[in-house]
Amino acid sequence: MSASSSGQPKLPLSVDHGGGRYPGLDTLGQSSHWDMATTGVVAPRVGIPVGLRFFTQREEAVACALTDQLLGQHEDPRVPVVRMIDSRLAEGQGDGWHHVDMPPDDLAWRNSLAALEEDACSRLGAPFADCSWPEQEASLRAIQRWRGAWHGMPAQSVWSLWTRYADTAFYAHPWAWDEIGFGGPAYPRGYKHLGLDAREPWEVKDIRPTLDPLRLRENP
Amino acid sequence: MKGLDSRALRRRNESAWLVPADGRDVNHRLRADMRTFDDDDEVDLVIVGCGAGGSTLLQRLARRGWRVVALDAGPFWDPEQDWVSDEAGSHHLYWEEPRVISGADPVPLGSNNSGRGVGGSMVHFAGYTPRFHPSDFRTRSEDGVGADWPITYADLRSFYEEIEGELPVAGEHWPWGDPHGYPHSPHPVSGNGEVFLRGAHALGIDARVGPVAIANGRFGHRAHCIYRGFCLQGCKVNAKASPLITHVPDALSRGAEVRADSMVTRVQVDDRSGLATGVHFLRRGRQRFQRARLVAVAGYSIETPRLLLNSASARFPHGLCNDYDQVGRYLMVQGAPQTAGRFGTEVRMWKGPPPEVSTEAFYETDPTKPYKRGFSIQTVSPLPITWAEHVSAQGHFGDDLRRYMSDYPHWACLGALCEFLPRADNRVTLDSEQDRHGMPVAHFAYSQGDNDRMLMKAAREVMECILRAAGADEVITIDRFAHLVGGARMATDASQGVVDRSCRTFAVPNLFITDGSVLPTQGSANPALTIMALAARAADLLARGARSGQPPTRKP
Ligand SMILES: Cc1cc2nc3c(=O)[nH]c(=O)nc-3n(C[C@H](O)[C@H](O)[C@H](O)COP(=O)(O)OP(=O)(O)OC[C@H]3O[C@@H](n4cnc5c(N)ncnc54)[C@H](O)[C@@H]3O)c2cc1C
Ligand code: SF4
Repeated sequence: MSASSSGQPKLPLSVDHGGGRYPGLDTLGQSSHWDMATTGVVAPRVGIPVGLRFFTQREEAVACALTDQLLGQHEDPRVPVVRMIDSRLAEGQGDGWHHVDMPPDDLAWRNSLAALEEDACSRLGAPFADCSWPEQEASLRAIQRWRGAWHGMPAQSVWSLWTRYADTAFYAHPWAWDEIGFGGPAYPRGYKHLGLDAREPWEVKDIRPTLDPLRLRENP
Repeated sequence: MKGLDSRALRRRNESAWLVPADGRDVNHRLRADMRTFDDDDEVDLVIVGCGAGGSTLLQRLARRGWRVVALDAGPFWDPEQDWVSDEAGSHHLYWEEPRVISGADPVPLGSNNSGRGVGGSMVHFAGYTPRFHPSDFRTRSEDGVGADWPITYADLRSFYEEIEGELPVAGEHWPWGDPHGYPHSPHPVSGNGEVFLRGAHALGIDARVGPVAIANGRFGHRAHCIYRGFCLQGCKVNAKASPLITHVPDALSRGAEVRADSMVTRVQVDDRSGLATGVHFLRRGRQRFQRARLVAVAGYSIETPRLLLNSASARFPHGLCNDYDQVGRYLMVQGAPQTAGRFGTEVRMWKGPPPEVSTEAFYETDPTKPYKRGFSIQTVSPLPITWAEHVSAQGHFGDDLRRYMSDYPHWACLGALCEFLPRADNRVTLDSEQDRHGMPVAHFAYSQGDNDRMLMKAAREVMECILRAAGADEVITIDRFAHLVGGARMATDASQGVVDRSCRTFAVPNLFITDGSVLPTQGSANPALTIMALAARAADLLARGARSGQPPTRKP
């Protein structure tokens, strides 16, 4: 496991999957240029996560396996997305809406995790978290493609709920920003070098600009 | 801005000069010294909601010497302490109380659609402030679709000019609609804007820098934009306009009260006189009632109809002002597909304000096309979480998602605003679900029509062409929706809408609606400027028509 100059770990990601494109980018290392309020919300994300308040232990196991799949987190160090989702649900910090044929977000999370577990036990004979990576992936792909109800909820709405919460937690994390070349908070410093191929002195150039996702898809 | 204009502006609205000159965000003295009214004081006007429409009305009438209070359900923001330069940390800017959505094409709400707190949704709006076109007020007569407004563009023109000066708006000369200039010159553009201008130029499409409500140059004591790209998270710098800095300071200095953290639950109407007497609200756990001679509702297109429907009485058994079943109907969203293109060079679209460049070349009905009305195209620059939603919407997850996301600096993104047409069945009703105060939550049903779908497709094709002409080797599109307006529309008579041409409700002569709810059509322009201009016009009529504080006499 490698680490940045501010001592932050790098998330494991293979070169083929876009790892290591911005060597040395260390968003958190820039925090002396941030305002206090912003540092106050960003810094705790890399600290010790608070304990679970919403999910039960069994739900946590399913949720971890599910979000590992959604975000390609195969090994530690990981962004603790389930803890972050748990906090949101415990604090009733929903998205402010739900589909008429879906329960409110907190209940939808509980029900969908239970459904995933039930499917795994009845079809694969093991709890979801104990299934192999390919087995888990295949069950999720089936739900993603399903057009219709899944355990009484529209499969598409469930998929959108999961990805919304997972994406929000993961891409709120400074380690994820380092991986995608994003500089994080920008107040009060701002940006001085605008325009194509223009960078601030502290921004890091992509060392594999031809790693175009489209080309990769054509010849994997 | 010329010296003379600047003096006239300051006489009309001094807000920018009331921000402290020491570079801090808030004039704490103004807030500490704010006049406060007792619940039993019968104020001249109580306003529900301190957003785009509510704040403008508040400032205008405070200037005329009215005793006015604006109640807002959310906080009285202190940008330095309360706002962050971070996407996930900004959820508290949005209206997160539950709402239920349904219909053939349900519209997700939350962060995508509405705000809370003093300043309203403009606190986190992108900052585009185009005017509507003259044709927008006459789509029924000119194109046989939508509805005609009971007012024309000419009725709003002078108010557009005033508000553009007060925000202020920066941009190039605007050749579309009613051609006009802007008080501040255009901002420099970032990589995303460069891509748009380049692609449009290659195709012979006219695209221009602006119009954005971000001061460019000296404007009172407000600071200059630092191009940090977090406009949708609230501008900590005070460069981007929101009523919190453009209208509330002047209102406070003229004796208005802004009562934050006050959720209005009912408008009270005296069934005998048929007049509104005040509003019930919750503050710090207590039920209170503010008496007022006039009431204005400006709570946004979802909360305004919800409040009216929740204010039923013996006289109005189906909801206040709802004798003709018009409340909550004709709610509109704009189709807002976003198309992103991949470039070999680094675009770093998150740098610079998301609103930079736009075109209205496709705004009007094109007789050679199978659809009516049109769309506009603007730069948008999603931050990582929003961008991840884009990528996820293409079906990517796991390693695939991470690979796409690692390519973030290479993408540019455009957004369209398609004029979806008003439909009676697109509406807000009360759901059986209740919020934590026991008030039924809003249920918002939405379905698109054929014209709407054709516009989405056409806009997407144009955006793809522009990005490809600029050199993109791959393009992806996500369907989104933006900008709710309508729900208590302006009309010529009570069977067609909820308010008349002066924003007065047909049913209750001392009750007004002064927010985006009153729009009968939406054009393909972002609505905030028009909402503010309408509120300024309503204030002007009120101040001229009624002697300060006198309730209007009932029309026979
Ligand atoms: C992400 C995003 C980007 C946007 N970008 C643009 C843009 O670039 N240009 C543009 O023109 N528009 C934009 N908009 C839309 C624009 O901000 C809104 O259309 C506009 O602010 C609506 O004005 P309003 O007066 O109707 O309501 P708001 O400005 O939302 O004000 C309503 C206020 O009422 C309060 N309220 C509601 N109910 C109650 C109650 N019961 N009691 C007390 N208070 C209550 C709320 O807290 C809120 O402060 C954007 C919106 C979003 C979400
Ligand atoms: S880019 Fe400019 S206007 Fe937008 S938030 Fe930053 S400083 Fe404010």
